[in-house]
Amino acid sequence: MSDLTYAKIDQTVLDTLRPATQVYWFTVALLAVGMLGGLACWIYQIFIGIGVGGQNNPVAWGTYLINFVFWVGIAHSGTLISAILHLFHAGWRNPIARAAETMTVFAVCTAGLFPFVHLGRAWMVYYMLPYPNQRTLWPNFQSPLMFDVVAISTYLTVSSLFWYTGLLPDLATVRDRSTGLRKKIFTILSMGWTGKMEQWRHYTRGYLFFAALATPLVISVHSVVSWDFALGVVPGWHTTIFAPYFVAGAIHSGLAMVLTLMIPLRKIFSYEKIITLEVLENVAKTIILTGLIVGFAYGTEFFIAWYSQNSIEIAIFKWRALGHYKVGFWIMVVCNTIIPLLLFIKKIRRSIIWLFVISIFINIGMWFERFVIIITSVARDFIPHAWGLYWPTVVEMGIMVGSFSLFFFLFVLFVKHMPSVSMTENKEMLAEGESHGA
Amino acid sequence: MGPECQVMGLFTDEERAASAVQALEETPWQLKQVHSPIPSHKLSEALNLKKSKVGYFTLVGGIIGFFSGFALAMFTAAKWSLIVGGKPVIALVPFVIVGFEFTILFAVFGNVIGLLIQGGLPDFKGMEIYDPRCSGDHFGVLAACPEIEKGQLINYFKEKGGVTRVFES
Amino acid sequence: MKRRNFLKLASIGSLSFAASACTSEPDKTIFSLVQAPADMVTGSPTWYASTCRECPAGCGIIAKNREGRVIKVEGNPLHPINRGKLCIRGQAVVQGIYNPDRIKSPLLKKNDQWQPISFSQARSLIQEKAIQAAQSGSDKARMITELVGDSQLALFIHCLEKLNSKGPIAFEPLAYETLKTANREAFGIDGLPSYLMDKADCLVSLGADFLETWLSPVEYAWRFKAMHAVRTEAQGVFFHISPYQSLTGANADRWIACHPGREAAIVMGLIKATLEKGRGIGLPQSLIQSLRDASERYTTQATARMADIDPKDFESLKIRVLKAKTPLILGTGAGTASGAFQADLAANMLNLILDSDLTLFDFDRRHRVEGSARRSEVIEFFNSLSTDGVRLLLINNVNPAYALPPGSGIRKSLDSDRMFVVSFSNFMDDTTALADLIFPVCLPLESWDEYSGKNGMVSTLQPAMGRFTQAPHVGDLMLDVAFKDDRSVPDYKTWVMTQLHSKGVMREKNEWLKALQAGGVFPDVSPSVTRPRPVTGATSLFEPVDDTTGLFEPVDDTIERDPAKPVFIAVPSIRFFDGRGANRPWLGEIPDPLTKVAWQTPVLGHPESLKAAGAGHGEVVTIQTQQGQVEAIAYETRQVKPGVWVMGMGQGHIHFGRYAANVGINPLTLLPPKIDNMTGGPVFSTAVVALSATGDSKPLAHTDGSRIQHDRKIALSIPLDQMSANHDEKSAHEPSLTMEGFPFTLPLPEGYDPKRDFYPPHDHENYRWAMAVDLDKCIGCAACTAACYAENNIGIVEKDRIVEGREMTWLRVERYHDPENPEKITFFPMMCQHCDNAPCEPVCPVYAPHHSKEGLNNQIYNRCIGTRFCSQNCPYKVRRFNWFEWEWPDPMNLQLNPDVTVRSKGVMEKCSFCIQRIKVAHGVAKNEKREIKDGEVVPACVQTCPTGALTFGNLMDVNSRVRMLTQDVRAYQAMGYLNTKPAVIYLKKVVQKT
Repeated sequence: MSDLTYAKIDQTVLDTLRPATQVYWFTVALLAVGMLGGLACWIYQIFIGIGVGGQNNPVAWGTYLINFVFWVGIAHSGTLISAILHLFHAGWRNPIARAAETMTVFAVCTAGLFPFVHLGRAWMVYYMLPYPNQRTLWPNFQSPLMFDVVAISTYLTVSSLFWYTGLLPDLATVRDRSTGLRKKIFTILSMGWTGKMEQWRHYTRGYLFFAALATPLVISVHSVVSWDFALGVVPGWHTTIFAPYFVAGAIHSGLAMVLTLMIPLRKIFSYEKIITLEVLENVAKTIILTGLIVGFAYGTEFFIAWYSQNSIEIAIFKWRALGHYKVGFWIMVVCNTIIPLLLFIKKIRRSIIWLFVISIFINIGMWFERFVIIITSVARDFIPHAWGLYWPTVVEMGIMVGSFSLFFFLFVLFVKHMPSVSMTENKEMLAEGESHGA
Repeated sequence: MGPECQVMGLFTDEERAASAVQALEETPWQLKQVHSPIPSHKLSEALNLKKSKVGYFTLVGGIIGFFSGFALAMFTAAKWSLIVGGKPVIALVPFVIVGFEFTILFAVFGNVIGLLIQGGLPDFKGMEIYDPRCSGDHFGVLAACPEIEKGQLINYFKEKGGVTRVFES
Repeated sequence: MKRRNFLKLASIGSLSFAASACTSEPDKTIFSLVQAPADMVTGSPTWYASTCRECPAGCGIIAKNREGRVIKVEGNPLHPINRGKLCIRGQAVVQGIYNPDRIKSPLLKKNDQWQPISFSQARSLIQEKAIQAAQSGSDKARMITELVGDSQLALFIHCLEKLNSKGPIAFEPLAYETLKTANREAFGIDGLPSYLMDKADCLVSLGADFLETWLSPVEYAWRFKAMHAVRTEAQGVFFHISPYQSLTGANADRWIACHPGREAAIVMGLIKATLEKGRGIGLPQSLIQSLRDASERYTTQATARMADIDPKDFESLKIRVLKAKTPLILGTGAGTASGAFQADLAANMLNLILDSDLTLFDFDRRHRVEGSARRSEVIEFFNSLSTDGVRLLLINNVNPAYALPPGSGIRKSLDSDRMFVVSFSNFMDDTTALADLIFPVCLPLESWDEYSGKNGMVSTLQPAMGRFTQAPHVGDLMLDVAFKDDRSVPDYKTWVMTQLHSKGVMREKNEWLKALQAGGVFPDVSPSVTRPRPVTGATSLFEPVDDTTGLFEPVDDTIERDPAKPVFIAVPSIRFFDGRGANRPWLGEIPDPLTKVAWQTPVLGHPESLKAAGAGHGEVVTIQTQQGQVEAIAYETRQVKPGVWVMGMGQGHIHFGRYAANVGINPLTLLPPKIDNMTGGPVFSTAVVALSATGDSKPLAHTDGSRIQHDRKIALSIPLDQMSANHDEKSAHEPSLTMEGFPFTLPLPEGYDPKRDFYPPHDHENYRWAMAVDLDKCIGCAACTAACYAENNIGIVEKDRIVEGREMTWLRVERYHDPENPEKITFFPMMCQHCDNAPCEPVCPVYAPHHSKEGLNNQIYNRCIGTRFCSQNCPYKVRRFNWFEWEWPDPMNLQLNPDVTVRSKGVMEKCSFCIQRIKVAHGVAKNEKREIKDGEVVPACVQTCPTGALTFGNLMDVNSRVRMLTQDVRAYQAMGYLNTKPAVIYLKKVVQKT
């Protein structure tokens, strides 16, 4: 990126904040419609009852929790990329960190909605909050669901703060390049950041701690999510491999979503110089790794089932692969572990189209992973007389579409109104690059 | 001495800015402020800045978080004193998770507070003597000198290869 | 917008709004009685003894009245027939009273439109018609009635006499003509004795489904289990011989699937065998001789060939019958094919041979149902209506238009312009729909009456609640119709009293009161004195008239097993009886014990039969007979003989209210109006003309996920010969943490062990409630489930929801087939196990489920927010979620138990061990300053179980019955290897080699 200069970086990024086209607003409107559709479905469900979904006895959890886990998973690689790679001084993180963090924040928000949607009595959700009340009714902190409440809300707070802290210098840059209302807004947002070395001194240090804290948090959050299942007695859930398995899966899906978002972004905002092919290639390489880990986890599950010689455990895994939901299972296996292997081929790894298509496949595969885990185990757990099947309904689909609309709605709004690529960090990288060169 | 005036030397080159900062020490003029678009190592070396103390805030936050997490979990359990799943009313193992998450959360709060206090943010006064280019591609070295020596200081920065901007007070 | 809705809307977006939102609980009407009855104490129930009239058996019931309305009925413990127990249909009686489709005022048909008229108008209209009829000659006013008590029958005769007509005929679709005739021909008694089944040690049924509908199911259920009770190394043995395996057959030690109508051959084979062994002492030689001649041909091989059974089956049957000290052969069931009479007659003879004194027959206490008319008489009656030019027809609570095959021409004879048809029914059933006037009369639980299920006793009825409508009692109405001021008695109640008085059953008034309190007058059971001798004429029946005709001649050796010529059998249903129960939603909702299908009427066929029809399980087939054709869902099962198609009676009504109209299929429409000349009885089987798959398939509303238990140590059984202590199952395996070796862990501190348990044990406060379930006693009748629905306000979800898997039952009777031989079935009642280490509890974020001080697994409905994690984590899947707001259409809501919350949508619920009853017991004990006694708390399911399979009590009391049962060799816990430490202790089913 030798031909890059600070000015060029600023220019490229600031160009993205130019007044939007009609196409852009049309997209926003479209997504808003999808969002409202989902909302309508939810209101309908609240009035009629959860029964409008497909859940039943024994399968009392459906797409709502599938989507919850899915979005939490997406939420993961954002902080992973900016925090862990920051600690490792992996330079290729800088061009995509901002967008990834943004993705994290919005994905957590989306994920956070689903527990509400899922509840039989959404209007009683505040029972889960430890607020002092004169009846001294408190939540049960032994419940994995309370772990979730604590972990997810912590994660949302931390990643938002992390994200904002990262934005600060860029906000100042925008402030200094803009006029009128925008200037006013950014003046406030940037909190009078002037890039004094005194500010930088604390900033860099604080940012480092941020990264240091966010890293274990990322790991813990998805472990906690996995314990929603692993702490149950249900065959196929009650296993110690779940935490690492889920974390790997989360990163896998997160990276895929980064590609899905970055590739169009790069094209539309002509970020080619900043988000270079190398950057994408590095993401792809990481995907190979996570894909292999996930694949290994799938294998391990079957091995444990066989090795335990627990007939119930064996039965559930046989059924996963060969039973009513086998299609879902094989979609999961192929999309998450087989297809990513293509990235071993350099040509594919460096082909934008391929990367994009593969990332889409992984997203689909990871959704089905959650489907397989959540549905199959309870559909055929201990008591054969109570076995049953589950299929999602239109209402559930509507809410799911709504959630995707919400996520993209927020993201699209962001990229047009905030620096979607960190100028400072790229300048920094440029500086270091030169100094190394020198 | 007569009235003071402040001159900012703006450099597009990190090296030059750094050397300007260093050389300034041999001059009678007083280095006021250094603005940088990036957390520049060279500059911080030149200024030989000390390590930030933000970490202590973070640490304190973390400790508070750890205990308050456990405390909350144990308090609520004790309030009910109900047996669930055959566990004792206060079953510490599950509370570890609550404790952990609270540790992180409060540590981050501590970190942010530390950042704001130490970094003196928000700081809108600081923008009065400031050049917008410093958030772009310029490194700003602000120095103060008596009104009469203004010309010399400007020349000094020119020699160092920067453009200058004068802030009359 | 309603406030509630607003808050719901508000809650969608923001927590802060949600914080003030209330539940979506529906508003409920609160009834306040202006004038409370003298004996009514608010909050505490009053019990009224009465008699169940849901079937002719006549069980005693006690009706629980709370705040002036009956909310539940239970068996009357003093009653000799049912001894405090009740069947699934008895439990559902309240749904008749509160049925939303109940007709509240008389309806008059004006040009095919029903218009309501007042009771007085209707009464005078009938009076007018009656007088016209009476004047226009004799027998112009006729009546067909359900089976009623002596007093009521006498009244009908009395009144009809005044209208110079002959008495009514009592119509019961299941009238046991073949049994009656066989008894007449064999013993000269045209009746139905009761059987002292409990005294037998070997029981052979030729299809008598005495656990479902046959004569007196509740009585025979407990008698059967008394006979079949487990004694160390010994147990009565029970053979069931029929073309399909009914619930009774499922409870047999051996089910012998014989060709329809060929039961006789097997009995003849047994006769031959017994005679060869020289049995039959005390019988006239002539009879012995003719029997010997008649049974000559029935060698084991021949018998097996004729009945199309495995010779081995016959051999073992023979051995057991010969070995038995007190064997008893029961006759054919109600779902009889031709040839049933031969079977019943032969059975009588065999009984004589085995015990010439017929010690196990009680001819003094005969079943009242014998008083119902033969089918031939019923048909004759309807034909005579037009020929005799009858002007007024009174139909008292019978439904012939539904219960008689269409070919019988009932509809035609009912819809004649010259005849005014009055129906006293409370429901618009198929017959009532054809009437000219509907005059609802009050139901048994609202009436003074008397009905004795057997002679030799009196069982009384009294109003258990205030009148629900202005409807008079049919007796009072008849008095009004027949008499003006010249009536002998003021009202029907007085009539009943005078009748009983004249019978000498009761002399003074206080005896009447005593009788009402006790539910009747029950003389001590003295051994039967009537000892019928074989009718001399009986001999002739067995002698061939010539080579072809004689009664037993047509039983030829050849049986065409041509699947193309299948047989269709309609069988009475344990849930709907003959169909009269179809409009009680509980009966539709609770699945059939064997198919586990609710609300639908599948047709059962053997895999071979389905293959021949080209249909798969759950696919729709068209069954065509001479009479007509129906489309039904094929249900594949090995519990029917190949070539036999079986369908349960009771559904497929054209009318009969929202819960019955056009629900399921009526198999009777496929049957011919044929009457057996010998017995005058109907046939419930016919040849199938054509049977083919339509190609499309409908979802079966079944509640079972799997028919077998996949070796998961759920419903266990133990061979009889291992019952002795030296074969202790528990010591068979080294204690380990595996499925096989996991030890028996009581939900008490002693059940804990650091080797297995991470956390220390916890104590309970005086009580640790637990239940013992004896799988050997459980017959799978689902009476417990019905009682649970009644007691706990459980929602009715109906067919579509059951297809979706949303049934709400707290107590389900799981049915598991043995994978090797599917006719071996174990019934397994599954309710909340109230585990000591309950997996459902810790996963709830708001403590809605938690462990009570007395070991109960409580569920706090108004704390529940509906995460459904508890249900996910329950290994027994006994938790039920309110997917919707369930409806109790007015006035069904009046049946709701005021002691139990009605759950709103979005909350989880489950079995509570009837905690409301535990609370009551606590109150009583506290007032008397003592601890709760063993047996003082009786949950609804335990209370009603006809065989006493369930025992409830306190585990911490070492002398309690439930604690004793935990010491039993057979005691185990369902999936105890999960270390949930369930408080429901199961006792293994005992299986014996036959």
